[in-house]
Amino acid sequence: MELEEMQEVWSEISGQLEKQKKLTDKMIIMMTQERYRKKWNKIVYPEIFGTIICFSVAILILFNISKLETWYNILPGILSAIILLVLPIFSLRSINKMSGINFYKNSYKDTLIKYTKNKKQFQSLQKASYYLSFLLIFLILPVTSKIIGGKDMFTGVKNIWPLMIFIPLGITFFVFFAKWAKKCYGKNIDEAESILRDLQAEE
Amino acid sequence: MSKEEEFTRIIKKNEGVIFKITTVYTDRSEDQQDLYQEIVYQLWKAYDSFRGDSKISTWMYRVALNTAITRLKKEKRMGNKVGIDQVVLKQTENYNIEFEEKLRILYAHIKMLSDLEKGLILLLLEGKKYEEIALITGLTPSNVGTRVSRIKQKLKTQIIKE
Repeated sequence: MELEEMQEVWSEISGQLEKQKKLTDKMIIMMTQERYRKKWNKIVYPEIFGTIICFSVAILILFNISKLETWYNILPGILSAIILLVLPIFSLRSINKMSGINFYKNSYKDTLIKYTKNKKQFQSLQKASYYLSFLLIFLILPVTSKIIGGKDMFTGVKNIWPLMIFIPLGITFFVFFAKWAKKCYGKNIDEAESILRDLQAEE
Repeated sequence: MSKEEEFTRIIKKNEGVIFKITTVYTDRSEDQQDLYQEIVYQLWKAYDSFRGDSKISTWMYRVALNTAITRLKKEKRMGNKVGIDQVVLKQTENYNIEFEEKLRILYAHIKMLSDLEKGLILLLLEGKKYEEIALITGLTPSNVGTRVSRIKQKLKTQIIKE
């Protein structure tokens, strides 16, 4: 279909739509109200809920740091707490940046550049989060074992078979997980980079 | 006329434009309804900042297109949808098969373009001049011209592939 033919079809659609204007005042007001409520449900609540959980666990670890006693338990404890505190903050910041673009002041091109940049950052953060979350599984194991169960996982566990199974399984899972994360986010990041290159090269 | 009345009047006047934008930027009717509501909501939010220094249509296209490209595509769908599918999203009953086929091909061609190109072709099909397209998109008029030529070339290549 050539551009001229496209224009013909387009004006025909415009004509048809013109004839069937049916949107009511009530419907327009309902749309704005419903969307406002939905936005809060969709983004803010799950994020806040996740952040509360992460922060609670981090606080629990930090309050019980003395119970960890040895350096090889304290170190994973501190690292776990850092991950649990930092990741939600970065994630919230990133989402806030993406949703904070001014639709009125920015032109289409500016919005596309800003959004693509923020999306790229967000995807990179998501990719890093997946790796860190997996690391967290291993880090938090000796910490919870000591704080909740009172057992030192490195010296106080007599039966090592569960660990012998868990560790290789975990590593295998991690390899597949990392490959998936790389493929999934890597493609999106590449696409974002190509859009940015195209837009920024022109001006 | 109150602010709400003025706003609803503008939306009603331009509902066809919003419909066409949502069709170009979505693949499923559920997403289309979602985007339609999002655009109306963003227009309402931006309405106070509209000072009349540009044409209302320029302002509307800018907000609507910006909303379309920044919508999170994989958002979980929650909440109720206002049943606009029963009204504006329904094409007229008088469509003939031939026109429907042309329409399908038209949208298929547009959907193969990049987000920026989709916006440009949409404005071009709406009959906007390069200067107004430049005002909405933030590109220079000559840049718009270059990109439009590229789009034409792309469309030709698509036809050859078919």
